[in-house]
Amino acid sequence: MRRAVNIVDSTKATPVPLNDPELEQIAMTTLLIGRQLMESGARAEVVHEDCSIVAHGFGAEHVDLRSGYASVDITVSRGANTITRTMEVGPHGVDHRVSHALRDLVRRVQQGNLTPSEALAKATGLKRDTPHFAPSLVALAAGIACAAFGRLLGLDWPAFLPVAAAGAIGQAVRQLMQRRLVNVFVIAACIAFLSSSLAGLGSHWAGSATVNVAMVASVLMLVPGVPAFNAQSDIMEGHPTLGAARGVCVIMLLTFIAIGVLLAQVLLGVQP
Amino acid sequence: MTVDVLHLLHQAFFGAVAASGFGVLFNFGWRDLRWCATSGALALTIRTLGQNGGWSLEAATFAAAAAVGCGGRLLRARLGIANNALAVAGCIPMVPGFFAAQAIFGLFALTAPHPDNPSKLAVTTMEFALRVIFAAGAIGAGLSIVTHILRSPDA
Repeated sequence: MRRAVNIVDSTKATPVPLNDPELEQIAMTTLLIGRQLMESGARAEVVHEDCSIVAHGFGAEHVDLRSGYASVDITVSRGANTITRTMEVGPHGVDHRVSHALRDLVRRVQQGNLTPSEALAKATGLKRDTPHFAPSLVALAAGIACAAFGRLLGLDWPAFLPVAAAGAIGQAVRQLMQRRLVNVFVIAACIAFLSSSLAGLGSHWAGSATVNVAMVASVLMLVPGVPAFNAQSDIMEGHPTLGAARGVCVIMLLTFIAIGVLLAQVLLGVQP
Repeated sequence: MTVDVLHLLHQAFFGAVAASGFGVLFNFGWRDLRWCATSGALALTIRTLGQNGGWSLEAATFAAAAAVGCGGRLLRARLGIANNALAVAGCIPMVPGFFAAQAIFGLFALTAPHPDNPSKLAVTTMEFALRVIFAAGAIGAGLSIVTHILRSPDA
């Protein structure tokens, strides 16, 4: 029996463009916004909703997004054309003003006020153009937050200033290490060791009876609270892969922080 | 229920300071920092009141997270702060980081060559670990349930 073979005559078939430049721009703009949302601490559902709004706002008829911990992928379709693109996601942090600016941008796209190229230009410069606090102020605020957190855990008054100072110094060194792109887990262990040692020495010198609490309180700015909430929300909202990845990173970070504090306790001879 | 007002004020004040400190770390704007402080103070007030009323830490934490989530939602239109960022900032001072550290120290101590009283150590470590899981779960559940019940189209 002869098998029927369909051979398409390339001269008669309707040509399908391999690449639609506008669809490409829609995909890349949407991915860039999604990536920046993830890097600024948004939940997966927010990333998915906003990316869908952006792509549909630019005229895409169908949008599929997959958000992973280290990359985001998108498939956008319009008419007969469909393209799939992927983009790497950098370190996950928390930046409320960047997140807010991105959501404003999404709203403007939804209202039809921006073309894909204008939105791409705005999204590209958004992180640079968003105001940030001076690093010294961030370090000071982190130190005070650690000391206040310590008071909630039973830290006595003599240890308050040493914990604030140790937390501030730790945060300042952390910012330097982040700028040098040091691994986030290595940063956590090193800063935990530094801050905990300084807080232990300082509070002992100040006559505190809660040296143990001081050594833990001084590293609380490293505890990944927002990623822990996001992990739970992602799993609840139907993104278990990203949620599980976030959860594993939270556990890893906590382990590295504990190793840093434990080393400091061994060094200073403090019982955990 | 007897309320130690001084202790309540102490918890609310340091909850506010911790939340606004973390607000700077999370790059909230100057204008929004006072709301971070309010959110932290509200969370710690409700948690302390709950614990004074005989609730467990986890139940009090859940109630505090749900209340802060509601507050954030109700004020969102006025404040213009997207999603539940404000509520998350307020809940940060309730994150059981200290318990997590104690649980991990306990695990390290258990694996030492000759631990003192390993049974007691195992129970204490387990207690800290369970407190971390339940307290973090209570915050997450409190915030998420409110977010989903009071959901709006532009959430």
